[in-house]
Amino acid sequence: MDFTFDDEQKALQDAVRELASRHAPAEAHGDVPVGPAQHDPKAWSAIAEMGLLALPFGEDVGGADASTVEVAIAATELGKARVVTAYADALTAAGLIAFGGSDEQRAKLLPDLLDGSSLIVPAFAEPGRAWSLDAYDVTASAADGDVTLTGTKEPVPFADVADKLVVTARVGERTGLFLVEGATVSGMRVRFDDTPAVALGSIDDAARAIQAGVNLGILAVAAEALGAMDAALPMTVEYLKTRKQFGVPLAAFQTLTQRAADMYVSLELARSTVLHAGMALAADPYDATVASRAKVVVGQSGRHVGQEAIQLHGGIGMTAEYAVGHFTARITAIEHTFGDTRWHLAALARDVAGHPQVDVLA
Amino acid sequence: MRLQMSDEDAAFQQRMRDFFTTEIPAELRERWAAGGELEPDDMRAAQRLLNAAGLAVPHWPVEWGGQDWTQLQRHLYLQEIQAASVPPPLAFNANMVGPVIATFGSQEQKERFLPATANLDIWWCQGFSEPNAGSDLASLRTSAVLDGDEWVVNGQKTWTTLGQHADWIFALVRTEPDAPKKQMGISFLVFDVKSPGVSVRPIQLIDGGHEVNEVFFDNVRVPADQLIGERGKGWTIAKFLLGNERVGVAPVASIKRALATAKEHASATRSGAGTLLDEPLIAARFVELETQLSALELTVLRVAANSHGDKPEPASSILKLRGSQLQQDVLEFTADIAGPASLQWSQPDDTDLEAWTALATPTYLNFRKASIYGGSNEVQRSIIASGILGLKG
Repeated sequence: MDFTFDDEQKALQDAVRELASRHAPAEAHGDVPVGPAQHDPKAWSAIAEMGLLALPFGEDVGGADASTVEVAIAATELGKARVVTAYADALTAAGLIAFGGSDEQRAKLLPDLLDGSSLIVPAFAEPGRAWSLDAYDVTASAADGDVTLTGTKEPVPFADVADKLVVTARVGERTGLFLVEGATVSGMRVRFDDTPAVALGSIDDAARAIQAGVNLGILAVAAEALGAMDAALPMTVEYLKTRKQFGVPLAAFQTLTQRAADMYVSLELARSTVLHAGMALAADPYDATVASRAKVVVGQSGRHVGQEAIQLHGGIGMTAEYAVGHFTARITAIEHTFGDTRWHLAALARDVAGHPQVDVLA
Repeated sequence: MRLQMSDEDAAFQQRMRDFFTTEIPAELRERWAAGGELEPDDMRAAQRLLNAAGLAVPHWPVEWGGQDWTQLQRHLYLQEIQAASVPPPLAFNANMVGPVIATFGSQEQKERFLPATANLDIWWCQGFSEPNAGSDLASLRTSAVLDGDEWVVNGQKTWTTLGQHADWIFALVRTEPDAPKKQMGISFLVFDVKSPGVSVRPIQLIDGGHEVNEVFFDNVRVPADQLIGERGKGWTIAKFLLGNERVGVAPVASIKRALATAKEHASATRSGAGTLLDEPLIAARFVELETQLSALELTVLRVAANSHGDKPEPASSILKLRGSQLQQDVLEFTADIAGPASLQWSQPDDTDLEAWTALATPTYLNFRKASIYGGSNEVQRSIIASGILGLKG
């Protein structure tokens, strides 16, 4: 096992870092937007033009033939600079199409999605329901060969700017994937009322495709959270060095520096895990266990680093003008995307008796 | 970035696994795995088998029995030795005084001590801590005064692990009491613990075991040629030794084996109509610990891949801290799994309880030491804060 970046990977890292610095939120004063990011068309087209969406996909569908390792590298840099876009969402949709769609659907949909000329996002969440890979309340029905969906998905990030949606919907006792245009979208709410839909591939393949697509999304958000932690810790350290109280820098207080050291531990554990997940999902995109472990480690590290970054800053960390709290907000949103720590622990626990121990060295 | 090991590394791993599981007697490994006490002769037997195969001190210089391995190979060696429950080479010999003598000793000292140290012909113990010099080691007061061609040593050391079995001690002593800083004027002295004036008194610990000792020096006369390195530069040696002590001190494979064993115990412990492993909170705790342990193992591998020469990857600083935490978490969980059966600390002749349950609580209590020795976790955090983050008060 080797964790070192090759020259191409370093070049990608530099390029994304440069891109991210151009699209990072400006130094803010006064009335600063908080909460979920709004779509930024300039940042989005820069990401698409650099080919970051294409990274893990094959050239036959317009991909760059790189891998999920490169996705992790790119998403980390975006997270570090607080460039919040539909990157993970679009990658997930692309994964659902790549792993679940028919050859014809892949050829038709992926090139435009990967080069940014069409935005497709996934719709999983149903109002009043906990996270699930399965759909319950949005149902698909077929009549005379035409498929329609009925029900509500909410929240669906970036639904208001998407050209199409990939929707999970109930088919009898199973969950299928459907492509939809023309649902009724209001903010993050998407309503279907006998809305025409096209089945994505065969329902027999849907469960595996959902796993692979969500794995890709998990990797992208986990790497983004890693980047956010990787920025929040140096900010905190810098603050401890410069802020003076009682006539001395905060760094004179061990109760603070010891906690900063613990933040570093959490950060580095997350880094190892995300990089490994990038490598492991490149080898097996369906590996749910690797994805769940990454989500758990990043979830626990993120909670720790995000909360402590605010606390060690004190009052200034609470203000919208200052970046550190925005990192924590984003880390929190990521925790609640694609299943939280408890969800993934429960998923892992279902196989607790199936393996004597975990071996990471293959 | 590469997920798979190279063919050479995989073959290396297999070679290690084969040796440890076939050449070291199973009976010895089983007793070590069960957490039972090993006699000094058992430790000597194991280390001599390893040394004969060149596997006792692989990280030493090649001319003194080392192997020119990569960091990853060193990791694989440690992993396999732990996974096979081989009693490891005595740390005081292999990881502490050996590298010190190999680095700072004279040619004569190397020839005199290194082969015997590698083969455990000399059993070493450590004389560093004193009653008033723990984490603040440089405050040590044990003195050595030159009298002709002998040093005369007076004072007291403490927490001397396995000192009751030791032949020799390596000790930090103050040779220049008037040095301007407390870190100056310390020297590194080695001597026979059977020397007149040395007395060893046991300290009983909360698990009932006798593992550490107090060692007293009353006008102990030590030949001058048993001072290692430069007189007055002992602090440099101490820092070198403590640095070695911290590297590779995330015993991932041992922790992993302990967790796997705990899982076997949970699946054999009945609870209601099923077993403890069927309980959702128990199952979730297992996978949480497995996940946290894999994050640590991946960090160990990342550090091994990125460390070159004497420039270690900065993340190596988290290994001792996190390793000790997870080791303690697993042993705490094991005691919890034993539950009411853990109330009995020794295995009576006549019992229906499983033997492991009697060891669960003493072992849990014993390993509270892991976050105290080798630089307490608070010291580790200070090293991270000042050395990595640049937070200097």
